[in-house]
Amino acid sequence: MAEEKYPINIWVNEERYEKLKAVGLANMCEEMLAGLKVLRVYANNAQKDKILKVFPTAKFDSATTKSIELLPRDVKDKIFDLVVAKRNIDVLDEFLSKY
Amino acid sequence: MAEIGHGGKEIVERIMEPAQAKEKIKGLKQIPIRSQIANEVIGIAYGFFSPLEGFMKKADIDGICKNMRLANGVLWSIPIVFDLSDAEISDYGIKVGDTVVLTYQGNPMAIFEIEEIYDYDRKTICQAVYGTTEDKHPGCARTYAYKDKFIGGKITLVNRPKINPPYEPYFIPPLEMRKRFKEKGWVRVVAHQTRNVPHTGHEWLMKGAWLQTYGELPIDKPLVGVLVNAIIGEKRKGDYIDEAIILCQDELRKSGYFGDHNHLTSLTFWDMRYAGPKEAVFHAILRTNLGLTHHMFGRDHAGVGTYYGPYDAHILLESVKKDLNITPVYSMNWLYCPHCGEVTSEGLCNHKKEWQKFSGTVIRSIILDGVKPPRLIFRPEVFDLVMECAEKYGFGSPFVTDEYLKNRTPVFSIPPLA
Repeated sequence: MAEEKYPINIWVNEERYEKLKAVGLANMCEEMLAGLKVLRVYANNAQKDKILKVFPTAKFDSATTKSIELLPRDVKDKIFDLVVAKRNIDVLDEFLSKY
Repeated sequence: MAEIGHGGKEIVERIMEPAQAKEKIKGLKQIPIRSQIANEVIGIAYGFFSPLEGFMKKADIDGICKNMRLANGVLWSIPIVFDLSDAEISDYGIKVGDTVVLTYQGNPMAIFEIEEIYDYDRKTICQAVYGTTEDKHPGCARTYAYKDKFIGGKITLVNRPKINPPYEPYFIPPLEMRKRFKEKGWVRVVAHQTRNVPHTGHEWLMKGAWLQTYGELPIDKPLVGVLVNAIIGEKRKGDYIDEAIILCQDELRKSGYFGDHNHLTSLTFWDMRYAGPKEAVFHAILRTNLGLTHHMFGRDHAGVGTYYGPYDAHILLESVKKDLNITPVYSMNWLYCPHCGEVTSEGLCNHKKEWQKFSGTVIRSIILDGVKPPRLIFRPEVFDLVMECAEKYGFGSPFVTDEYLKNRTPVFSIPPLA
């Protein structure tokens, strides 16, 4: 059975979209909720648990979207910057290695 | 004509006028209280918690834990208790038969007639009310934090709270609320319980519940209203600030998504217990006292984490329906369907593979990321007001921060006794 994955939704504002376009990653965005752009970075169970422990303001929305929400903006910026630098969404191991 | 509340009892405000109060409190021992207790004093005194006349005695806690009833048999689900440490009882020299003055913010707030001093096993309370004894459940944590003893006895408010801006229009106690409903000509009123800034999912929950409540009534004039009753109490970091919650809920009416003919915003002072089904029963009782005829309940009402099933509250409410004077209205989820091009109900839309769910948590994440949600998901007037509240009340953030907790203006103040 495939391991369950939990998305971190990085909501893409104009600034982030320009950065993605600059490195040819604009197509990694999904459109959601009547026009929002989102970049999803997926966590496995162990990564989800670590994120929720390291960033206590974050919340796992178990009731509705099954996603990791309320990460601080600067944390999302770091994850986003890693995605842009690596041109890949599989960045959580490297991101979490610093914590 | 008597206004009858929960349990078939007349709602009576337990409030003493200032001239009489000043004489009555002379020479009485003064005991300072914390905000939770002050909130509950207001709840008891104004009739939000009718038929309670004071803080509970042991027989009531027994009844709640064993049968979800007070000692007199009236349905009740959450203990309302006053706690003191053994040291405080000794230092204040308190004993059964005493009358003391409860003070808040340094001023007299209420007279407390002490009828019983007792202990009660905290784990028993937790298991009965929260269905768990884990201290990571916030209701259990609150219960374990109570001091050594509980004190039971009647409360009389001696000093009305001054409700601070911008909350003043929204504190509408039960007897006043019932007058407002009559003035509006509403024959049915459905409660929307909230601790959030509304997104369109909430808006549609209210609209759906309004339609469910309207039912077979004639449509020639507006006979049904939605009462938004925001719970205002202890805040956690990351919650929306209280000012944003109450003003943004009212903004839906002011901006025309509802109107004066079908919508009213109010608040109740209460520190959430996150008791899920038991708190749903408490909310039903509270809104009965406020004069409502119906109460909407969605999935996992008043829950936290994964302690309760999504429909546990509905099941419990159904089991006690004959003891309630309010009709539960069960709400299906609203979500965005890109195929329909609108927010729709999971009970209506069949494009299941295309459903895009959203929640208050997701909206908060979107705002935190510096993105403005589209108007189908979050009304622009509400968004602009959230940002305005952040600057005016939230020290730059619409969410609770350490600075907000330290420096915010309290929702109410107890002034010196005039």
